[in-house]
Amino acid sequence: MIKHALITVILLAATSLAGADSGLQVSEPWVREAPPTSRVLAAYLTLVNTDDNTVTVTAISSPDFKNAEIHRTVIEAGVARMLPVKQLEVPAGGQLMLEPGGHHLMLFDPLRTLTAGETVTLIIHMNNGKQLSATAPVIRKTGEDHSHHHH
Amino acid sequence: MSTDNKQSGFKRILIAIIVAALAMAAGIWAARAVLEHNSVQDELDATRFPEAREIASFSLIDHNNAVFDNSVLKDRWSFIFFGYTHCPDVCPTTLSILNSVARKLGDLDEDIRFVFLSVDPERDTPEQLAQFVSYFNADFIGVTGTPEGIEQITRQLGVLHIRAQPEEGASGYLVDHSASVFLFDPDGRYHAVFSPPLSADAIAGDFKKMLQAYQ
Repeated sequence: MIKHALITVILLAATSLAGADSGLQVSEPWVREAPPTSRVLAAYLTLVNTDDNTVTVTAISSPDFKNAEIHRTVIEAGVARMLPVKQLEVPAGGQLMLEPGGHHLMLFDPLRTLTAGETVTLIIHMNNGKQLSATAPVIRKTGEDHSHHHH
Repeated sequence: MSTDNKQSGFKRILIAIIVAALAMAAGIWAARAVLEHNSVQDELDATRFPEAREIASFSLIDHNNAVFDNSVLKDRWSFIFFGYTHCPDVCPTTLSILNSVARKLGDLDEDIRFVFLSVDPERDTPEQLAQFVSYFNADFIGVTGTPEGIEQITRQLGVLHIRAQPEEGASGYLVDHSASVFLFDPDGRYHAVFSPPLSADAIAGDFKKMLQAYQ
């Protein structure tokens, strides 16, 4: 519950950064805390388009990592594959979720140690040249907490 | 002579009755077994084999460098998931689900083993796996080995794992792999498989039903 409230606060903080003219808002951004050996982390968020036109996201970057790529997990015939995604289309008045087992952001080689409670800056790049910044909390998820991402 | 004939006649009838009774008992037993199997399967999300499958020998090592082979499976139930430590989405999600399953089954009087079996032995050393699995649960077991050793078990279970061609400029490589969770019974036999999408509630609930049917 506290975590949920915290996320809501961060979400409000994140969306306030969006700027009224970008048409795009970020809700519930979070980064999965990784086991100590891992050099690759996953980030999840929901892109909300309040605009009348489709918004195309061409990249998501992070100054806290060496590299970031948008991927999509596809499970076909029981086999999980991760496919790179060139761009994300967020429909007018609609939303697009990056969530476990679906679209996600791969963050490679953290520039500092990132443990639960810290935050990561994500920058969403749009094809109209606009950028949107979001602050994503690092959250430990090992099955001990109640997941609020399951609907 | 005639007494002997009479006696052997009786004997034949008696044998016939015994055979018939046995056949009937066997029929009832078989029918009940089939019905029972079917009724168990009907209540499951998992795919449970009517006859658990024997697994040919394989030899791997766990994250403490101890041998992990068929004999290790033969003392308790084992959930096995195949993945690799450089996997940021599916593997942590599945291990979190399995940790929830472990907690949900914690009240059972059963010693249950959870195994994360690497399909990326090149990068997943026992040391790497030790840190990875214990992050999720101190009792989880990481298993790796030679590519041949891993092939010995994956081939039998139909577990696919393919190293994906890295993208231009990508950091490291990805491995496409089976997203299912495999269940072995205390006889060391392949008992059931849970296919994605996985849920801790469904896995724990199904396991309890299968445990009941097994006992």
